[in-house]
Amino acid sequence: MTTTVSAFALRALATRVGASVLLATLAGTALANTAASASPGPLVTAEWLAQNLNRADVRVIEVSVNPGLYERAHIPGAVNLSWHNDLNDKLRRDIVSKQDFEKLLSKAGVKDDTTVVLYGDTNNWFAAWGAWVFDIYGVKNVKLLDGGRKKWEAESRPLNNRAPEYAATTYRVGKVNLDLRARLTDALAVAEGKSQAKLIDIRSGDEYQGKIFAPAGVPELAIRAGHIPGAVNVPWGQAVQEDGTFKPKEELRKLYAGVGIDGSKPIITYCRIGERSSHTWFALSKILGYDVKNYDGSWTEYGNAVGVPINNPAGTVWAAK
Amino acid sequence: MSLIQTHSASLAPGAGRGAWQPWAAAALLVLLWWFAGEAQTWTGGRTLVFALSIGIALGVVLQRTRFCFYCHARDWLQRDDPRGILAIALALAIGVVGMTVVQSSWVADPRAGQLPPEMHIGPVSWVLVAAGLAFGAGMSVSGSCISAHWYRLAEGSAVSPFALIGTALGFAIGFHSWNPLYSLAVADAPVIWLPQHLGYGGALAVQLGGLGLWSAWIWHRHIQRQAASTRTAAAEQARDLRSLWQSLWTGRWNYALGGALVGLISVAAIVRMRPLGVTATLGSQVRGALQQHGWVPERLNGLDGFAGCATLPQESWATPNALVLVGLVGGSFIAALASRQFTPRLPMGKDALRGIAGGTLLGWGAMTGLGCTIGTLLSGGMAGALSAWVFGAAMLAALWLGFRFQAWQAARSAA
Repeated sequence: MTTTVSAFALRALATRVGASVLLATLAGTALANTAASASPGPLVTAEWLAQNLNRADVRVIEVSVNPGLYERAHIPGAVNLSWHNDLNDKLRRDIVSKQDFEKLLSKAGVKDDTTVVLYGDTNNWFAAWGAWVFDIYGVKNVKLLDGGRKKWEAESRPLNNRAPEYAATTYRVGKVNLDLRARLTDALAVAEGKSQAKLIDIRSGDEYQGKIFAPAGVPELAIRAGHIPGAVNVPWGQAVQEDGTFKPKEELRKLYAGVGIDGSKPIITYCRIGERSSHTWFALSKILGYDVKNYDGSWTEYGNAVGVPINNPAGTVWAAK
Repeated sequence: MSLIQTHSASLAPGAGRGAWQPWAAAALLVLLWWFAGEAQTWTGGRTLVFALSIGIALGVVLQRTRFCFYCHARDWLQRDDPRGILAIALALAIGVVGMTVVQSSWVADPRAGQLPPEMHIGPVSWVLVAAGLAFGAGMSVSGSCISAHWYRLAEGSAVSPFALIGTALGFAIGFHSWNPLYSLAVADAPVIWLPQHLGYGGALAVQLGGLGLWSAWIWHRHIQRQAASTRTAAAEQARDLRSLWQSLWTGRWNYALGGALVGLISVAAIVRMRPLGVTATLGSQVRGALQQHGWVPERLNGLDGFAGCATLPQESWATPNALVLVGLVGGSFIAALASRQFTPRLPMGKDALRGIAGGTLLGWGAMTGLGCTIGTLLSGGMAGALSAWVFGAAMLAALWLGFRFQAWQAARSAA
């Protein structure tokens, strides 16, 4: 009975094939899971993100400084958080409140086991600042897309303009880690020699020297020019490569060791409003694993504060010619 | 109804005149193509090339359809020809629908309090009314709005160069008057985005309903007045491709086509760049130059926080807005040359005076109104900004007064 035999043979083949397909699928899933969990460290590459974009436990969030950028085109499925309206408190100079932060993450469908990948424009400045806020509120798996929007676009990876809709969760913040935040008193303690912490000023050389009060086009200024006494100057851009990605860990270690920052003492990063310094905070704390606080009051608070010592090599005096 | 109309006597090419012009149009197109290739390599090149292309399309459409707010208002109010003003209503209606699609994706819940980024939604106060009135008066005096002056450069207008100089002057006066006006009225003025109060559906219904009713009234009034006179419609003629091509570059295109294309171009722009506007580049150049010399206050209170034709001086001249302008002027030159409608004449003292005086009013109105007929009225109205409709109404009121004045003057000199 040829028909029966061949039918039997076919069934057997189908079973074998089916089994192999099943095995392959299982293996594939396992591999995919390995690939997914194989994103150790604080950064993910554009390639990793492209491969893991459709995973339910990965949530991509854009935090850009320029409005209208996300709306026109973003990484498919990414949620938008406005640093002005969402991540800042509107009534006090402060980061978003715990309750409002919980609402934001719930709306974005973030769960405890979600891997959050942040990215943004201008070299991830505000995305890194977002990572700092997320860290303060104890979000477990927060990563930065290395190179941010710039790298993603440069690699011609897909973008779209559809706003995603995720099923809302009820996200709860556990412990708030305020150890990541330096206050004026912490900065002052270093300036007055009462603290062992190391201050790192990541603004441009001209701002650090006191030649200018703030970068061009920035209306929020300080009454004094210069820097906090004792601070060393490593402009944030020195931590990145041409394509916007962070320099390799070893190079970063050398860069900061060159100015006496080797992780042996606690570190405080600052800039003008605390957002560019988050970028360096990320490099020092997340990539190099040092003990770092970000001083988000930064020069707009310190340079305006009454009765605090400053260092002003250029000697520029407010409104005096 | 033919898409192309060929009965604009004033713009029909003279026999044998300007045979070189279509060749110049082709050469200009090649030049712009080369320029686009260069711009592609600059920072933000993709958006710049997009802006240039949008500008060229707008320039061709404005010139070929003679989409001019002043002329359309004059045809309606003075000559009882409503086709142009209806084309403006059509552009707004198409834009309102398109922008609703875009904005409902950008801002999921319009009632939550967040305004869509960059959309030209401005403060509504008596300053805006004054801006609209001044702008309308400027149109009456100079014979065009700012966007039309740009495309009329390509037709060899004797007034437009002076009007644009006047506009720069008006901007300078505007910057000087801004701080007191801001304190008096603008700072506290409400910024009203209709979808925030009515929802997307409600805002769409109110705006389309309003435009529909307005158009119906215009048409009804026109029909009543025309009841006595008889018009015979020209019979449709089958055309071969060659004559169809020629008709593209003869006379002017259909009004409705102009309205539809302007609406579509405005929506297309917003998907990739800031809303259309033709005064930001001029305004920021004037502001940059004057601030350097300390002739304009260093701090213009609140100005840069408002959405609209932003005048904050930029680091590079090559902004998308500037490229739209380059494209607009280039595109209208291509269209005017291809249609042999580049008819320059030497300006006379009267042209210069009209241009400078009207332009100054246009500039002051565009500065304090945060844009002109394109930036504030079209881009704002499409986005659901109440400020657009207030500006438009004030402008139309000033135009109506202007035409009444002209009629009175004509009657007096005839008597």
